[in-house]
Amino acid sequence: MPEAGAFSSGEPDGLSAQNLDRLERLREKRFAGALLAPALLALLATTTFPLFFLVWISAQRKDLAMPFMDGFVGLENYRQLLGDPRFWESLGLSMIYTVSTVVLQVAIGLALALLLMKMKRGQTLFRIIAILPVVLSPAVVGMVWRSFMLTPEFGVIDYLSITAGFGSRNWLGDPTLAMISVIVIHTWQWTPFAFMVLLASLAALPEDIYEAARIDRANSWQRFTRITLPLLRPAIVMVVIMRTMVALTAFAAIYVVTAGGPGTATEILNLYAYRKSFTELSLGYGSALAVALLIVTVLISFVLFLLRRERTA
Amino acid sequence: MRHLRSAAILIGALVFTFAWVFPILWSVLNSFKTEQDILAYPPKLFFEPTLAAYRQVLFGAQSILPNVWSSIVISVGTTVITMILAVPAAYALARLQVPGKKSAGFYILVTQMLPPVGIIIPYFLALRNIGWMDTYHGIIIIYLSFSLPFAIWLMVSYFEDVPWEMEEAAAVDGAGRLTTLWRIIIPQVKGGIAVTVVFVFLNAWNEFLFAVVLSGNTVRPVTIAMFNFVSVEQTLWAQLAAVSVVAMLPVVILGIVAQQHIVKGLTVGAVKGGGRR
Repeated sequence: MPEAGAFSSGEPDGLSAQNLDRLERLREKRFAGALLAPALLALLATTTFPLFFLVWISAQRKDLAMPFMDGFVGLENYRQLLGDPRFWESLGLSMIYTVSTVVLQVAIGLALALLLMKMKRGQTLFRIIAILPVVLSPAVVGMVWRSFMLTPEFGVIDYLSITAGFGSRNWLGDPTLAMISVIVIHTWQWTPFAFMVLLASLAALPEDIYEAARIDRANSWQRFTRITLPLLRPAIVMVVIMRTMVALTAFAAIYVVTAGGPGTATEILNLYAYRKSFTELSLGYGSALAVALLIVTVLISFVLFLLRRERTA
Repeated sequence: MRHLRSAAILIGALVFTFAWVFPILWSVLNSFKTEQDILAYPPKLFFEPTLAAYRQVLFGAQSILPNVWSSIVISVGTTVITMILAVPAAYALARLQVPGKKSAGFYILVTQMLPPVGIIIPYFLALRNIGWMDTYHGIIIIYLSFSLPFAIWLMVSYFEDVPWEMEEAAAVDGAGRLTTLWRIIIPQVKGGIAVTVVFVFLNAWNEFLFAVVLSGNTVRPVTIAMFNFVSVEQTLWAQLAAVSVVAMLPVVILGIVAQQHIVKGLTVGAVKGGGRR
């Protein structure tokens, strides 16, 4: 009896269950929308709206020093940019800065991670020390290096240089030395990042592959190039992508240490966009430079992501 | 041979440890020196420590206490607003069926590619127009541009670790969605929230580009105020060192507290970017 009853009322029940399901899904959608909307709106307001506004400003002449000349100029700023030697120089400096800091970070970070894997004790201490530079403000790091490390006849680096017989150098006043200095400072601060990430992936590698390799009498160099490096490749590529993005938009440390100088010797594209906008007060042209930086960033990350996909596929 | 190798490893490790610690350690040492000791040549490793520089920096004419307060207000304000917006959004992205979820996730990721200098130019013009320069709300709003995507991604990774059964059990009990989220799910990600708070606070405390453009006499965080001690005529070395230490102290403490999670905190965006999503 109860079975028959259940059967006879089965159809309307099933229908309402379906309706309930639909209603439930609609509710979930609404609920999810309500949870997501505030954050998405905030992101829209703080990132997407400024982007459109930026592109709009880049089509204007906007000089805070000469507001009476302001007005719509179309692509004029971009035309000017393509013929601006300071733009091409800054782009070149960005490339030098990015490639050298990223290569140094990955190379030193990897070497240290391999070294640490060999250590039996003191790993924890080393890990904690590696955290220190990474959590500091790049502005403070810049200030510490500029004053206590690199000031001629006062900073420790200069003292070492004098003691070693190289004499006192104007570390931040000489164009080449200044560029080397800002690269070293960036590398100093962020190598621990590469180190920590690579150490984490090294520690997660399966031990038995190495056992097999040892049995096959692979020497340590072969083990490194044939096993460790290929297995680490995803982690390395990830570090390269992340560090490249950060290096392209590096600002605080360079600003504090050299402010792009001497002259324009350390003026990477990011700094040029800033100086043009807020020191020389040409916000229209500065915006065009910022858009150029965005385009460069997107192009480079596109290439790097392609590389990543190719490797994993 | 074995001994030689482990000795070499140890020496290599020590050299690099030293290289990382030294600039920080040297600033700390300098902050406890008198101006005479600090200017001594060759540099003094041993000296009579004094708190004079700290006394000057904290309670002197150019006290940085208002700046420390400024940094705290900015960082706490940014953290609170970021978390209120990010936690629900992250839950929705991690757990709920939303049409366009993938594009929303992709959008959040892409927003991070915009160079900060490209954000600050229009933002500066807008704030100038409405008179919000040198205000806390002005600076906190723009800090959301970097803290929010970061916090959302980090929280998504924590929400994904919560077992589904928790939610199903709550649903069977007839608890509403919001109740489930608040009573059942949020307590599960308490640790994740703490880690996210630490990193958002840290990033806000360390920010410089937006601060240098937007700060003035009212809003002047420590990272900007340290320039008060450096001028063309003279640099107050010991006080500059003391200010640097004051600026470093909170983030170093937070970094060490959160050390277990630091790799996750540093890589979360990229892992998400090409990997699972």
